[in-house]
Amino acid sequence: MSRIQANQSVCPGLVLGAHPKNDPMKFSKTPLSERVGNVWLSLLTGLVAGIGMEAGAAEPETILVRTMQAQMKFDQAEIAVEPGTKIKLVLENIDDLPHNIVFFKPGTDVVAVSNKQMEKPEEALKRNWLPDDPRIWLNSRMLNPKEKQELEFTAPTEPGVYPYMCSFPGHVLTMQGKLVVQKKGPILTSSHFAVYLGNWDKLPDFKALKPHREGELPDNLIQLKFDDYKNQYGAVFEGKLAVGKEGEYEFQISSDDGSRLSVDGKKVVEYDRIHPSSEIKSGKLKLKPGEHDVRVEYFQGGGNAELYVAWKGPDFSITPLSQWLHPSWKGGASTKKKSETTGMPLPVGSEPVVYRNFIEGAGNRGIGVGYPGGMSLAWSAESMNLAMVWRGAFIDAARHWTNRGGGHQPALGYDTLSPVPVGAVSMAVQTAPDSPWPTVAPGQKPEGFSWKGYRLDSKRQPEFQYEWKGVRVRDRIEVSGDATKGNGRMERTVSLSGSIPAGALFLVGETASIKKVADGFELSPALKVRAEGAELRGNCLVVPVGAGKSELKITYAWKELPGKTEAAR
Amino acid sequence: MKHKVQTAMKTLFVLPGLLLGAGALHAQTPVQAPAESEYYSITPFATPAETALEVSSVELLPGLKVAVGTRRGEVWVVDGAYEADVSKARFQRFAEGQHEVMGLAWKDGYLYATNRYEVLRMKDEDGDGRADLFETVCDKWGVSGDYHEYTFSSRFDKAGDLWVVLCLTGSFSSKTDFRGWAVRIKPDGSLVPTCSGIRSPGGIGFDADGAVFYTDNQGPWHGSCTLQHLVPGSFQGHPGGFAWYDNAPNMGPRPVEPNDESRMVTERARIKELVPPAVYMAHGKVGNSSSFIVCDTSGGKFGPFQKQLFVADQSHSNISRVYLEEVNGVKQGVVFPFLKGFKSGLIGGRMNEEGQIFAGGSDRGWGAKGGQPYDFERVQWTGKVPFEVHEMRARPDGFELAFTEKVDAASAADLKNYSMREFTYIYQSKYGSPEVDEVTPKITSATLGADGKTVRIKVEPLTKGHIHELHLDGVRSAAGLPVLHPVGYYTLNEIPTK
Repeated sequence: MSRIQANQSVCPGLVLGAHPKNDPMKFSKTPLSERVGNVWLSLLTGLVAGIGMEAGAAEPETILVRTMQAQMKFDQAEIAVEPGTKIKLVLENIDDLPHNIVFFKPGTDVVAVSNKQMEKPEEALKRNWLPDDPRIWLNSRMLNPKEKQELEFTAPTEPGVYPYMCSFPGHVLTMQGKLVVQKKGPILTSSHFAVYLGNWDKLPDFKALKPHREGELPDNLIQLKFDDYKNQYGAVFEGKLAVGKEGEYEFQISSDDGSRLSVDGKKVVEYDRIHPSSEIKSGKLKLKPGEHDVRVEYFQGGGNAELYVAWKGPDFSITPLSQWLHPSWKGGASTKKKSETTGMPLPVGSEPVVYRNFIEGAGNRGIGVGYPGGMSLAWSAESMNLAMVWRGAFIDAARHWTNRGGGHQPALGYDTLSPVPVGAVSMAVQTAPDSPWPTVAPGQKPEGFSWKGYRLDSKRQPEFQYEWKGVRVRDRIEVSGDATKGNGRMERTVSLSGSIPAGALFLVGETASIKKVADGFELSPALKVRAEGAELRGNCLVVPVGAGKSELKITYAWKELPGKTEAAR
Repeated sequence: MKHKVQTAMKTLFVLPGLLLGAGALHAQTPVQAPAESEYYSITPFATPAETALEVSSVELLPGLKVAVGTRRGEVWVVDGAYEADVSKARFQRFAEGQHEVMGLAWKDGYLYATNRYEVLRMKDEDGDGRADLFETVCDKWGVSGDYHEYTFSSRFDKAGDLWVVLCLTGSFSSKTDFRGWAVRIKPDGSLVPTCSGIRSPGGIGFDADGAVFYTDNQGPWHGSCTLQHLVPGSFQGHPGGFAWYDNAPNMGPRPVEPNDESRMVTERARIKELVPPAVYMAHGKVGNSSSFIVCDTSGGKFGPFQKQLFVADQSHSNISRVYLEEVNGVKQGVVFPFLKGFKSGLIGGRMNEEGQIFAGGSDRGWGAKGGQPYDFERVQWTGKVPFEVHEMRARPDGFELAFTEKVDAASAADLKNYSMREFTYIYQSKYGSPEVDEVTPKITSATLGADGKTVRIKVEPLTKGHIHELHLDGVRSAAGLPVLHPVGYYTLNEIPTK
């Protein structure tokens, strides 16, 4: 990630034992789209089922549907099943409101059904909000928060789109989806593979290379079972696909590392170079009835090796051609998914923009400020200190302005830096040479400090105000230049009024890579700081304050750098 | 954009004034059942295009201006909001970035606002129409980072205090200071813990005498949404925040824990600090997520319901009407549906001196019937008095119903025109509750008073603690009109002795 970690460091005179070990802002997140393990196995069974198979012989396909916490949504807006298959649907209500799932016949206007309930709410309530509607063919109970229920059923034999919803009043507007009942399509025939050895960072021209080994594909499914080669190899898979109906066909691939799919010699979709299989790529083309040649090229550098291939046609649903299935393969190409935590960057014009919210790295009382000139900061009204600075774009409000507003939002720009460790307060009295520098955990308040608010100057630049042991502190930051062009500066003035305790220190910076340079101190490769009277004690840059020193001038200068610090994988 | 008045007319049949003999053939005259919009209009404002005005609080400013706080943390000042032509309203952004403004209050040149973790006051010192001073008044409660910890605040009470109701951390527990409490913020910024037992508030306001009420939402320990009376020192029902009694010496010892799967009326007998909801906003019937509270203090400009409370609902996009009385020292009363058809999920609202309600909200995160993502609208009385139950008062053996208009004597006397059911909710740690312990009482008499507007009904039995759901489908006004909202829900916490 682009965030530069402020590691624990040793600081003579100020032992940092009180710093939190881990970034306390990272809350555990439950994976929402996790699926139960044997889905694809039973699906493959389903592919060969249908002729002469006894009902009950096949294990039911398990589909896990979860309500999403605080989002008024199911985690699956579309579920694809084959006609007449046995399904075990597990509904897990991880939200803190009651929810159910109700399935209707094709063409039902679920919003109208839900609204109709409200005409006779008493009757609806008696039915625990299950609509009295003959088009319902399957439903769960109304689950309380944290409850779950398993529903075993046989998918409709009639292909079609069967809408589902939560019928609790008001939920349907966002809590609905469709069960798509459609047959699977054909898989490869006459397939074979060829393995090549080599160390590449992108797909080579396999046609110019000599295969190391060739063979038939087991089960006609693309797979990476080359037990002799774990790393540094390539593979080409070829086979035929039977098209029954003229129309548009979609091919999907995902891989770790690169891959490409061609049909009849024409490239349809490519996901080249070294990367994890984080996305599903898709491409479309029109095909006429008959047999078509499919070629999939793949290479593996090192580490994980994965390859997913599938197709979908006008008369059948998404059908895997590979043995490995991408975890979100039913959701389709990942580029189509709309994120609910990105997409609302706050523009900064000629004036600073203030954004008080949960900002990752600034506690629970963070105040984000986006300044003109591509500079941003987050000031913490908990640690009463400058918690983060970054350059580039300010912040994305989508996490807080979509749904209920939970979660901590990281900076949107780059070269994000915490000048001091997360939660480290601005001032402390050094009571003993090895006394720890006080920090505060998110949501807590440091002893001796009280937050007083802020005032905007004529350029709408905030001056943060607080009290520390009876000392009134004003912390003002003014910007000039443009950090994205390498000449951005943040001039920080900290004014203290009142009786300053003896031995008081102001913590300007403490980072793992802090070092003295010609004209100040380097906090990170991107940011320099200069402050009158500043002393570097170990990794801590402090300014002693007292009767003779009641105003601090601190200058942060953004360095010219060749570009963004790209997120490291 | 012009507001379309929906006239969903129901045709029904009423008897002409004369009561005809049994078996006699009589002509039935079809009459149009009146619609709410004949009496109260809802007019939406065109909100500024550069923002999503997700209204979460409304306050009145000097000079006939209106301040609107939003879930996106902005405060907008609306000039011209009182004018007949709402298209003349002008919006200016006064402040931004305040982490959800769920409370606004004007005092002495400062606009007080509440965000998640503090009450602050804002002022425009350089006169450019935008605030430049953001001074913290009180931040002495906690914020854990959980989305659920919303913070709602009142306007100033008679003592000059602000009341703040603090949503729990999630539905069940309180992870940081005073979450699940109502607190008062004194003029010097100090915090006074005032009531425990809060779950998930949706609004806070005063009645005409200055008593403080808040709305809470269905969930654990709340079988239904409620309107609750914030009596200092009381426990409001959800024990999730009991830990903070340790930090609230003024509140005395921690109350006895409520027993699970009990009834409010049973637990009241065990827990002396427990104040029952003044009115259950019967779940699913009048609403699903109660929000703002407005008291009609317009002196008649809002119609006949002076001093009554109007309680909004986010999920149903509506406003209900509450009449309250005090019996044996406990607030209780009745709720009737009042006005539906708002365009989004109502959250913030305020009535001005002209008897106009400014109301708005958003459907974000929960969904609302209105169908639009956010709205800011104005409600006005058309000047026509609807035929409604004006007041419903408990009596030792039944209820007294005061109507807004004279009642047709024959329909008032006909017992077939009345029906009632009584029920309550389970008081439990699980989410919500079905309606339970149903009793179907008999209406044994209905007597029209000498004023022609008051009907005294006798009910056998009355059940203490139950919601008494009254149906008046057959009662007609002297002019032949049905009751506009013929179903009311009276929460009978106490049965009066006389």
